[in-house]
Amino acid sequence: MKTLIKVKPKDYKVGDTVKIDFMAMHPMESGMRKDKDTGKIVPAHYINEVNFLFNDKVLTKMVTWESLSVNPVLSISMKVSAAGTLKVLAKDNKGESVETSAAITPKG
Amino acid sequence: MERRSFLKGFGAVSACAALVPSIVSAADEAKKVSGPNEMSVESALAAITGGKSVTPSSKVSLSAPEIAENGAVVPVKVSVESPMSANDYVKAIHIFATKNNNVRCANVYLTPANGEATFATRIKLGTTQDVLAVAEMSNGTFLSAKQNVKVTIGGCG
Amino acid sequence: MRKLSICAALFSLALCGVLNAEEAMSMNAADKAMYAEMSENNPAAMDVAEGEELFNSLIGQEAYAKVLGVSVKELPEMIAGFPRMLTATPKYDFTFPKTMRKVVTLSQSLQMALASRDKKVFKLKDKEMNKMTAYVKSLANDLKTNIDVKANKQMEEMVVLGQKIFEERRGGRGLSCNSCHSADIVGSRLRMQELPDLGSKATASASTWHAYRMTQSAMVSFDKRMQQCMKNALLAELPLGSKEMVALEVYVTNLGKGNTIQIPGLKR
Repeated sequence: MKTLIKVKPKDYKVGDTVKIDFMAMHPMESGMRKDKDTGKIVPAHYINEVNFLFNDKVLTKMVTWESLSVNPVLSISMKVSAAGTLKVLAKDNKGESVETSAAITPKG
Repeated sequence: MERRSFLKGFGAVSACAALVPSIVSAADEAKKVSGPNEMSVESALAAITGGKSVTPSSKVSLSAPEIAENGAVVPVKVSVESPMSANDYVKAIHIFATKNNNVRCANVYLTPANGEATFATRIKLGTTQDVLAVAEMSNGTFLSAKQNVKVTIGGCG
Repeated sequence: MRKLSICAALFSLALCGVLNAEEAMSMNAADKAMYAEMSENNPAAMDVAEGEELFNSLIGQEAYAKVLGVSVKELPEMIAGFPRMLTATPKYDFTFPKTMRKVVTLSQSLQMALASRDKKVFKLKDKEMNKMTAYVKSLANDLKTNIDVKANKQMEEMVVLGQKIFEERRGGRGLSCNSCHSADIVGSRLRMQELPDLGSKATASASTWHAYRMTQSAMVSFDKRMQQCMKNALLAELPLGSKEMVALEVYVTNLGKGNTIQIPGLKR
């Protein structure tokens, strides 16, 4: 699972609220689509859990479902309280998990 | 042609979902909130609210396109008016696609550290339908907003 | 037979007109703004990031600039001018492509760079090539496409050939690119979808491909997109990298000359 975290805007200070965008490359199979070649139903395969942690403290927890688009994008806000590390843990229903982090570096 | 059958697939959801119970339940057992991957708005709401009433409110703003170019990628944005302080904040934002087989799209559990109660993503819509956003407030009330999205099958490939 | 297909084409055009009247089914400004905003979070950004890794490990900007005969600083301007004619420098023993004085696309120039470094030369349709080209084109982001179709005899020939291919009716329905993208028909609807003016600033076609196609949930290159268009219009697909396909890319890129390059794009 390839992932990417974006923090917007690029420059921010302690006390600012920034936007956190998390993207993952994932098929998000609904379990209802038939394979074109075999005619068999493609088993459901989707990200079902995404946890955002800042300095190892829970920021936001998500339970997600197959109705999210393929290669989903999840955006939330975060009030910058200090410098540190934002970690995103994503897991899918087949048990594959991935950890992505981004440095939070407020200026001034 | 492909797209049409994809849409149909979404419509004939119950039939298909019945075919893959094992996968679905394996995925869901790990979570308390869920049953099989087929769920109506009523039961999805009941699971979250525990029977409490959900009030439509202007404090919840939901943006989604009135007309979606493509049902497979529909942008949805929710923001809820709240100070996001330790005593008064938005506990969760839930997004539902009311006519999908499994109406649940995402349950987002926020904390005051979010600063603002916002959530944005992209969802699949099987057909023209209402998208519903429910905000769970820290005082135990539930506020909602909904918007109808028309799904077209436009274009040349 | 030919008459029949023209009739069919006219009939479908007439249908477009009817649909055009259904203003209720068109997106309003707020909807369009929402879709435009989505390009900020483009899933193809992950493909571009992978392309960057590939490019840096296999070629690198310095080596690539050498192949193009420019400095690293001049690289973005150079990239913004593709397809362009490249000439071999004698010190490289290119094995690919064979004829060196020819008009090539950005992907083909990367093939040349790979060959010059004795690396495996990816095929044009390969995923690696798609990602790498997208990254290299993104080096020219915020610049304007500066293709020069008068630069030399070869480019002059290619733009003429490209226009001929654009306007040539082919396939079972006797359609050409021009059937749906001529100036007098753009803006009308094909199955609810507005036909884009390929040269306009709003469409910015050549400068916004590679793009993430929402209908396919994947990043697609400009030439690949044109192949998909041909397939749907029942035309035989021109092979990637063929003289005809490159010519078509030259012609359509030139239609949108001066538009700002923004890679990756986000398309329906």
